[in-house]
Amino acid sequence: MRAFLNILLQELVKLAITYKREKIGEGIHFTALINKRQKLNNIFINLLTPLSIETVSENAIIPRILSGTSKDYPSVTLLNKKLYSLYGASLRGSVTKMGDSQVLVLCAGCINNRYTFDGEKITEELIELLTGCLISPNVSGNGFEEKDFELKKQELLDDIDAEINEKRAYAFKRANQNVYRNEPAAISVNGNKETAGRITAVSAYEQYKRLLATAQIEICYVGEEYSESCRDILADAFSKIKRNYAGDNHSQKSPLKDEICRVSENLDVAQSKMVMAFKTNYEDIVAMKLMNAVFGATPISKLFMNVREKLSLCYYCSSGINAAKGVVYVDSGVERSNVEKAEAEIMNQLNAIKNGDFTNEEMENARRSIVNKWKGIEDNASSIASWYLERIYNGNLNSPAEQIEKLMKVTRDGIISAANSLKPDTVYVLAGKEENK
Amino acid sequence: MEKKIVKNERTGEQYTYVKHPTGLDIFIWKMEDYSSTYALFGTKYGSINTKFKTKDDPDFITVPNGIAHYLEHKLFENEDCDVFSLYAKTGASANAYTSFDKTCYLFSCTDNVYDSLEILLSFVQDPYFTEETVRKEQGIIGQEIRMYDDDANWRVFFNMLQGIYHNHPVKIDIAGTVESIAKINADLLYKCYYTFYNLNNMVLSIAGNVDEDKVLELCDKLLKNNDNPELETAFEPEPDTVCKKEVVQKLEVSMPIFNIGFKAKPDKDGMEMFRAERETNFVLSLIASDTSDFYKQLYDEGLINSSFSSEVFNGDGYFCSIFGGESRDPRLVRDRIVAEIERCKKEGLDRERFELIKKAYYGSLIRDLNDADAIATGMLNFKMMGDISIFDAIEAVADITFEDVQKRLEKQFNTENVTLSIIEPLDSKEGQV
Repeated sequence: MRAFLNILLQELVKLAITYKREKIGEGIHFTALINKRQKLNNIFINLLTPLSIETVSENAIIPRILSGTSKDYPSVTLLNKKLYSLYGASLRGSVTKMGDSQVLVLCAGCINNRYTFDGEKITEELIELLTGCLISPNVSGNGFEEKDFELKKQELLDDIDAEINEKRAYAFKRANQNVYRNEPAAISVNGNKETAGRITAVSAYEQYKRLLATAQIEICYVGEEYSESCRDILADAFSKIKRNYAGDNHSQKSPLKDEICRVSENLDVAQSKMVMAFKTNYEDIVAMKLMNAVFGATPISKLFMNVREKLSLCYYCSSGINAAKGVVYVDSGVERSNVEKAEAEIMNQLNAIKNGDFTNEEMENARRSIVNKWKGIEDNASSIASWYLERIYNGNLNSPAEQIEKLMKVTRDGIISAANSLKPDTVYVLAGKEENK
Repeated sequence: MEKKIVKNERTGEQYTYVKHPTGLDIFIWKMEDYSSTYALFGTKYGSINTKFKTKDDPDFITVPNGIAHYLEHKLFENEDCDVFSLYAKTGASANAYTSFDKTCYLFSCTDNVYDSLEILLSFVQDPYFTEETVRKEQGIIGQEIRMYDDDANWRVFFNMLQGIYHNHPVKIDIAGTVESIAKINADLLYKCYYTFYNLNNMVLSIAGNVDEDKVLELCDKLLKNNDNPELETAFEPEPDTVCKKEVVQKLEVSMPIFNIGFKAKPDKDGMEMFRAERETNFVLSLIASDTSDFYKQLYDEGLINSSFSSEVFNGDGYFCSIFGGESRDPRLVRDRIVAEIERCKKEGLDRERFELIKKAYYGSLIRDLNDADAIATGMLNFKMMGDISIFDAIEAVADITFEDVQKRLEKQFNTENVTLSIIEPLDSKEGQV
């Protein structure tokens, strides 16, 4: 088995964190992110696959099933008792989107072995448990165990129904369906009532087997020291799977619409929400991040200081980036009667940046705020893991320190051209009740 | 200056505690190898503290709801600038929050720690409001209140509190109401500020890559001496019974959301409060965590889903145990929980799982020592709850016995004093209640 280990070693001297990425199977990588400050060991198994309306809901239910039971622990109470005995170890399944891809995540975490009462090797036990959940699920006949499956399916349907409860996220989801019209990225991470309604224990299990064979599998281990035993448990487990690797995942930049797409929907809410999206082909993502920080990503940004503080037009108004898709968006909560004013003012602020109408102080403040954030990434296991997953996905393996170096070199002109590359694409409004009604 | 190093054998961790001559309690936990530092400067003053007196007041006075939160917003504004623009020069990410019983100002940063600390210590000690700046804030806070009006999870919780409590101000939204904040003016803000933002009533808690001497040097330079006002807070008397057994509201949600609260008598003493909280958490884990047969039954019947959880909610003058989640039949969930509690009182809790839960609980406390923010928050919270150290909490887990937990079940769960709060979907049939 060791024979297949093609070891890629990349030591980054400047960082307290060491990064080591190894191939442990066809399209399967084990990335160890090691640093002394971890009192916990965390492991993230990510399965990346293209978003498709055909498989989205099957994919969404798989992590729910795999993290709830397994062949060895066929009930939720048995599995949880085991986790409790591992000092309250966590085991979670979730699904997220990255550009045009869907990412199925199984993650587990526990305290370092040295904090246990009797020096038990709980990390190894937990990884055995986690791989067991991934590789040997609770199956009956040709599908997942039926009762288990039906409960998870109901939960998935309930979650799809419940998306409307979180108004900000709901508005953002509806906006994305317009921003990415006819693109995979428009598909909601759980699918919809129809796609979720038609999955069966058999179809989900079929898709599960297909994913194990074809998906890009990225495993991140974050801990205090590199653990060969953990890697071997995983490599050994994956060596038993017959792979038919479909290749690495990529995203397409979202094309600009011919005309600005304006959509307004009504909902019985007290506060309206507005999401604006801008498209860009700008290559220098670090410059775009700095532009975004000057524009609306911090409490000293133009949007916060002007639209919220000075004009009191919004309760929240901030900007963000979907790097994989080349989209910058503005997300705001606003009184219905102020929607137009808020839109005009957001455009004013963007135009100010396009025209170079920002001070050096604003630029340096924004830069410091990003440096602060990126330096802190290494202190937290899930932020390190997602940092590297995103970098692996975008094919640029910069560490936070390397990215900071690039950030320090971005000039005023870089920000101006990043801003000028933004073209308005979509304005989505979730309109609430009129005031004084 | 009183200074001591507090150590814990089990984890090999330690921190420094300082009682500053100005009356401020200071906690510093140095974390080697970390990039970030997290600092909290907090006062034991939250939304529930609307009735108080100092040695200068002849009688207790009552102020409008929402004033602690309003004050938090206004402190961020100096005479000549916004506090965020000061932090902008250090790169720190800054924030503040008001809860039921505390208001905290915080920053996290990787560079320029001492400059950021200087900003934090300065602006919190330097209030500046005018009638005009106070009026301006009403729009922003009004929007914030309206945003929570739509938030089903927030509403279900406050509706439950309104059902449980007759008089205790914990039942009022932290931000107050649009009506109550209209009564707030600069004089009231100054009155509350000088009453509660007294260093004798405050804690500074820092975890991360810091040098203790430099922190204390800054404290000596910036902390202002103030006279201890001998602050007393008070609450209207609160009956043992709940005010309403059921509260139902309709909102744009897909499935009914519920909170079920069991009202219990709160303890006054900090250590007792802590014991009650800890032991009740064990009770909740034994009865309703995802390791229990009871959980599995409800789950398998489709009565609850994985959003189901339970927690202890307690503070100055209030204590309740809450079960919450989504269900098609919240009333049945309540009945089943009540029945299970009665059964456990009669037949006893599950002794077998007690040790498992102990291990998991211990693990969760170790887990919290991994993050600067959890450490700084923990040191501050335990200090404000009573004179408890974050290590006491770890050690206390070892001491807890099954008998303590069984007794706690009797004491903390009176199945007569239960409130069910439900948020129902808008389109559900009328007359279902």
